[in-house]
Amino acid sequence: MRALFNRSMLRRLVTALCAAGIAAVAGAEDSSFAVVATLSNVSGEDIYSRICQGCHMSHGEGAVGAGHYPKLASDPTLASWRYVALTVLHGRNNMPAFSAPSQLAWDGPTLHLSDAQVADVVNYVRSHFGNNYQQRLTAEDVAKLPHPAAGAAP
Amino acid sequence: MENGADSGSLTRRQLLRMIGVTAGNAAMYQAMSSLGFAAESPYRGPIDLQGAPRDASVLILGAGMAGMTAAYELRNAGYRVQLLEYNGRAGGRNWSLRGGDTYTELGGLTQHCQFDQDLYINPGPWRIPYHHRGMLNYCKRLGVPLEAFVQINYNAYLHSTRAFGGKPQRYREIKADYQGQVAELLAKATRQHALDASVSREDQEKLLASLREWGALDRNYAYVAGDASSDRRGYKKKPGGGLSARPIPSEPMGLRDVLDSKLWQAIPIGDSYDWQTALFQPVGGMGRIGEAFGRELGPLIRYRARVTDIHQDAQGVSVQYEDLQSPGSKLTARSDWCLCTIPLSVLAQIPMNVGPGMAAAIAAVPYGAAVKVGLQFKRRFWEEDDHIYGGISYTDLPITNIGYPSSGYHSGGKGVLLGAYIYGVDAMEFTAMTPDERVQKAVDYGSQIHPQYRGEFDNGVAVAWHRSPFAMGCYGMWNSDTRARHYDDLCQIDQRIALAGEHASYLAGWQEGAVTSALDAVERLHVRAVAQAGKA
Repeated sequence: MRALFNRSMLRRLVTALCAAGIAAVAGAEDSSFAVVATLSNVSGEDIYSRICQGCHMSHGEGAVGAGHYPKLASDPTLASWRYVALTVLHGRNNMPAFSAPSQLAWDGPTLHLSDAQVADVVNYVRSHFGNNYQQRLTAEDVAKLPHPAAGAAP
Repeated sequence: MENGADSGSLTRRQLLRMIGVTAGNAAMYQAMSSLGFAAESPYRGPIDLQGAPRDASVLILGAGMAGMTAAYELRNAGYRVQLLEYNGRAGGRNWSLRGGDTYTELGGLTQHCQFDQDLYINPGPWRIPYHHRGMLNYCKRLGVPLEAFVQINYNAYLHSTRAFGGKPQRYREIKADYQGQVAELLAKATRQHALDASVSREDQEKLLASLREWGALDRNYAYVAGDASSDRRGYKKKPGGGLSARPIPSEPMGLRDVLDSKLWQAIPIGDSYDWQTALFQPVGGMGRIGEAFGRELGPLIRYRARVTDIHQDAQGVSVQYEDLQSPGSKLTARSDWCLCTIPLSVLAQIPMNVGPGMAAAIAAVPYGAAVKVGLQFKRRFWEEDDHIYGGISYTDLPITNIGYPSSGYHSGGKGVLLGAYIYGVDAMEFTAMTPDERVQKAVDYGSQIHPQYRGEFDNGVAVAWHRSPFAMGCYGMWNSDTRARHYDDLCQIDQRIALAGEHASYLAGWQEGAVTSALDAVERLHVRAVAQAGKA
């Protein structure tokens, strides 16, 4: 196991270099490329257009290939805000969990959204792309839902 | 992590930056660990499948590395084999994009690769370590010629936007100076008796001798400008021939400069088992392997077949599929056994009657968002100006890597770089862009390392794996928790259906994982088939 540990440490080191940079650049001179993370003033729209749209597409139209990305536009399943919020929190199939605890983040998900951000992006999706659900989620609503638990330490 | 902000108040960007460090760190680590958190390849040489039952049939879903490895072995063993493949080509993620190729991603945007003849990028795997013996063996058996893949190039760059004023440093200099300065420090501690408690007097002599050798120290155990250090980091004026030949040593950087730069973080990459020399690539692109497999299997592969339903019963397996050339068509293939290599990203959406354990495993694995960008330039300036022949420059910019071609050195005309290899959060952001935007971003970022980009850029292609119609992601992202709960269930044969692919391996993201998982599944299927035939 010792070798394994050393290998994982090595990855962390290598990785840290890369990670430092995400940061540097976002700040340095490139306002169009910022990492969306646990920042309360990043809007649901920002999160959607920079992250979600990669798969669900710019108008929430989804896509079909060998499999498909679910269409969010005019989607009746969005009627349940819990379903949408839980999907963002926990992921579904090949969609990663966007709210895994940081302990797990070392070997799991790729982006941690705060409860407020989850609420924002769910609100955005449920009020755009032909969806017109009036109810506005708050961070408190999201906080009441089950969140991904920390797994075994890597 | 430092935030790099000098002023007291944080701007929004700086705040984003700080948070990005944390989020990105995790993401990067995840991506890299899933690519490399790898055990030794279990490949034991060609498998032996003697005594295949007469007329037994196996339907294989997916003509990538796993599916074609299985098909090749099963066919040779006497099974009746049929493959269904979504794409119009063999190989799956084993794939090279060449001039004249077109690629349409999910969302409908089509790219026309305009690279010159013989130039390519590998959007998926691009290197084969010397210990991936399964991959190497199939290259040999299929007659796919290999050439060296340069991983570590001492003259390539390490670049941090926060160090040395953003000026790229040569790997050679960072490595020599880090090593030299650490060796000097340790030698000093030894000679000041700071290690007396843990190292015997006799061993201290040996340690000092080794530090001098390892760190290129002078006779006084100092890492200073001179022949010893310049022999590692390079000279200010190189030794040559003739009257003006006398070399001038270069001046090493101080320990603090090297440590502060954090560029030392990139030094161990080439020591990592996955990236140790030697590594290989097929001559002409990674896709040559898939193409060779495709030729070998010929009519056994049915292309443009989109699997829509997988159903097993007591006698066999029925797979429904759509012939994409006749949209809406419903065709059925039937066989005794089924080896399914469809990525879990896609398989999770296909109805299949397997037990709850396998079903849960299939749904438990999210897929990595990796992005690669290939850039064609009007000339090979990295060779002509920077003297970089193959290898990789690493940067803290989102592009992460600039990969130089390990072939075609000194060829006139244009050249193609891997202009970005992005994972984690950055890859998600790049995925959300149009292909043109991704290429433009890669050019913008890369020009911070190679200013020649601006004048020499010609054209580019960008593949974001979550937008891939056939894979919908780059590789399965297991973590220790999901491995413990689901991995065995994923790999167990469920009555007549077995799964294979990199997702069914501990070599996540590596082709060797696909090959070894296929061989493992095929051997177990064979045992079942033989046993079943014995009962009949």
